Amino acid sequence: MNTSKFIKILRETLGEQCSIKEDKDSYGNHSIWMKLKVKESINVVANSIKSFKGRCIVATAYKNRDGSHTIIYHFDINGTILNVEIKTNDNMFFSITPIIPSANWAEREIREMYGVEPIGHPNTDRLFLDYSIAKGVLNEFIPLSKLQRGVSKTDIMWKKVEEDINNG
Amino acid sequence: MGKTIKIGPFHPELEESVYFKLVADKNSIVQEVEIVNGFIHRGMESLVTNRNFMQNLILTERVCSLCSNNHPFTFVMAVEKIANIKVPSRAEALRVVADEIKRAASNLFNLAMLSHLTHSYELMKDTLETREYLQDLKETIWGNRMDMSVNLFTGVKYDLDAKKVVHILEKLNLAIPKIKELQKRFENDEIIKQRCVGVGILPTEKALEIGVTGPVARGSGINNDVRVKAPYSLYALRPELQPRTKPRNGCDVLSRAMARFDDIIEAVRIIKDLLSDLPRGKTYLEKRPHIPEGEAVVRTEAPRGELIYYLKTDGSQKPIRMRWKVPTYTNWEALKVMILGDKVENVTIILNSIDPCISCTER
Amino acid sequence: MNKLKPKLFRINTGSCNGCDVEFLATALVDKFQFHKLEVEIAEEISQANLLVITGPLTARSEPFLKSYINKLSEPYVVVGIGTCSITSGIFRDSYAINGPTDKVIDVDINISGCPPRPQSIAEGIAKGVAILNQKVQNVNISKQMDTILQGFEAPKSFRGKINLHANLCTACRTCETVCPSGAINITKIGDKYEHKVWHNTCCFCGNCVFFCPTGAIYNTNDFDTAKHQDEKYSDTNISYIKTDNCSSCNKRYKKPTTGLLKKAYINDDINKLNNNLCPECRKKENFTRMYL
Repeated sequence: MNTSKFIKILRETLGEQCSIKEDKDSYGNHSIWMKLKVKESINVVANSIKSFKGRCIVATAYKNRDGSHTIIYHFDINGTILNVEIKTNDNMFFSITPIIPSANWAEREIREMYGVEPIGHPNTDRLFLDYSIAKGVLNEFIPLSKLQRGVSKTDIMWKKVEEDINNG
Repeated sequence: MGKTIKIGPFHPELEESVYFKLVADKNSIVQEVEIVNGFIHRGMESLVTNRNFMQNLILTERVCSLCSNNHPFTFVMAVEKIANIKVPSRAEALRVVADEIKRAASNLFNLAMLSHLTHSYELMKDTLETREYLQDLKETIWGNRMDMSVNLFTGVKYDLDAKKVVHILEKLNLAIPKIKELQKRFENDEIIKQRCVGVGILPTEKALEIGVTGPVARGSGINNDVRVKAPYSLYALRPELQPRTKPRNGCDVLSRAMARFDDIIEAVRIIKDLLSDLPRGKTYLEKRPHIPEGEAVVRTEAPRGELIYYLKTDGSQKPIRMRWKVPTYTNWEALKVMILGDKVENVTIILNSIDPCISCTER
Repeated sequence: MNKLKPKLFRINTGSCNGCDVEFLATALVDKFQFHKLEVEIAEEISQANLLVITGPLTARSEPFLKSYINKLSEPYVVVGIGTCSITSGIFRDSYAINGPTDKVIDVDINISGCPPRPQSIAEGIAKGVAILNQKVQNVNISKQMDTILQGFEAPKSFRGKINLHANLCTACRTCETVCPSGAINITKIGDKYEHKVWHNTCCFCGNCVFFCPTGAIYNTNDFDTAKHQDEKYSDTNISYIKTDNCSSCNKRYKKPTTGLLKKAYINDDINKLNNNLCPECRKKENFTRMYL
């Protein structure tokens, strides 16, 4: 009910700028998947989520093979999940935290894990990632520990176990 | 300007490591609060993409030991959604039994910690002893007191025969009167009342704005329990199982504690209802599924609130992206609202009242 | 005799909180006999002489741990609770993990488990206290220690140390593949396969047991995991899996178990099959039998 009205409004304001797909799981729960053509449109979506008293659950980011990043916001409006996807080629996107405070941590994490900057985010500090670890650590496709040492800690440790077995 | 007080990162009253820097005025009222996170950050989102799906059944369980059943539960539901697998209903039931046992034990531990922090020694002892009924159960039925290793794509790894069902019911029947008695004692204990009523206030509108979930939301008059709002598994197939808890309106530490008691009592009720009428059939499907390319978002109600998994696969043996959001992730921001303007001596009690799961949050 | 009152301080270096929760249960529930040890919980690390460490040692914890242990004064004892503390366990090889603990501080006792049972934790602390007293008295530290706390039992179903029925194992490496913490390693040595389980990195999840196609690998209910640091790399379970000569081509190969043959030949009487053929020769024989 609530959500169909919401979709209608977004279709009217964004028109061709967004594509919408709906799905239903085997338990009957609806979810909505939305792709935005330009990343700036997230502002419009955030404002309507706010007017529908929705919240941001979390946001996911991942790096594509061409170097761009995909960001998916996961919102909840009264029990329905709304996933909104944007893409960025220039390591930045527009923060929605000023509109929806519950997006705060999710956007900060995207900054430190992928080095993609949420423009206009009220907080500039790191969240979880220690300063001894370079920003954008999840951009690596090969695990960093292996990259640095050539071998994993597991291999080194197992060598000691083998030595112990051989020494009886 | 007032004095600066540091708590942590390693402190006997903190179960997990976190670092508080507070500024308090001469009456010990907190004026500023800064929280340093990241001590428990283990880079798990990177780890899961380097392990195969079978290994990830366990790795997700190790996100956090207190909600260790919910993580693999939600993870397998995401895989099943991508692979379009229908799970046998007996398996769904067994998942729920395991989940509710964990919920009850986890909440009891938090309540024990509350009484520990208020130095109510007898109450703490009795709460932990009551939790032991559930810990013993987990060890005898599932083989470990914390990590039950229950979930599997297409079903569960364990089964219950008549003997085990009787054993669970016997233990629960011993625990129920104790739990009810504890609830009364928490509600009426003078020290608990002194330390918890009107402390760590989270007003309803603030709670909505921040997007808190679970017992923290239920203590501030909001019920956004996933089992009711967007039911999954057996909560969807048998709506009569859904918890019938009503939110509490005190918005303080005690209300959140009482919301946890409500959850425990409902958890036990759900298990008893289920065990009296367990669906028959297989516990998992023999055929190992192929996991195709796809993406899914799935959520469940963990002991602390809403747990959501995003999973993206490409048809290989490993996920290409997995992300999860745990209840504490949003409940944490509410801490600042609760702590500001309250007394320094209340900080650890307030922290405990959101039942923080830092290992979940920082991954 | 010189005795020191043990004062315990716990540091969580990034654990999933399982060990911390269970440590608390150990300390506060009477049936785990912890009170017998007369250990006091210290408010500050500077008062402590019994340091308990959990977790795989995350990058952010490391500098704090270092500055905390500088405040310790001799003599003191370090007890690591949980697989993570010993080998970083399931979290090893992540960019955020700098552990394990013994890189930063000398450890005396390790308690493997994920999390260990409170009974094992209590036993480990008891051994820690014993070593503390040896340090105070300046006597030789005993590295092989007998069980101190008596009367603990585990239910049959408890998932304890892994063992192997070598005669049922076909070295198929399923256990190695599904093990999330790299605790199983199978290598070929001459005519045999060596199957190794390293208890100090095992997370006791039972994944190997569940997925093993022949029921060869199993959990015992052995929870004797509180060991001296000297045994860190030697607390293992080693089994050897024999290979046979193929009766047709004489090549070495690993025989399948009867259980596996039954699964593969649903419509045949497996007693009538030639059981001494390598996979290649069996293929040939089957083709001859079925189509020629």
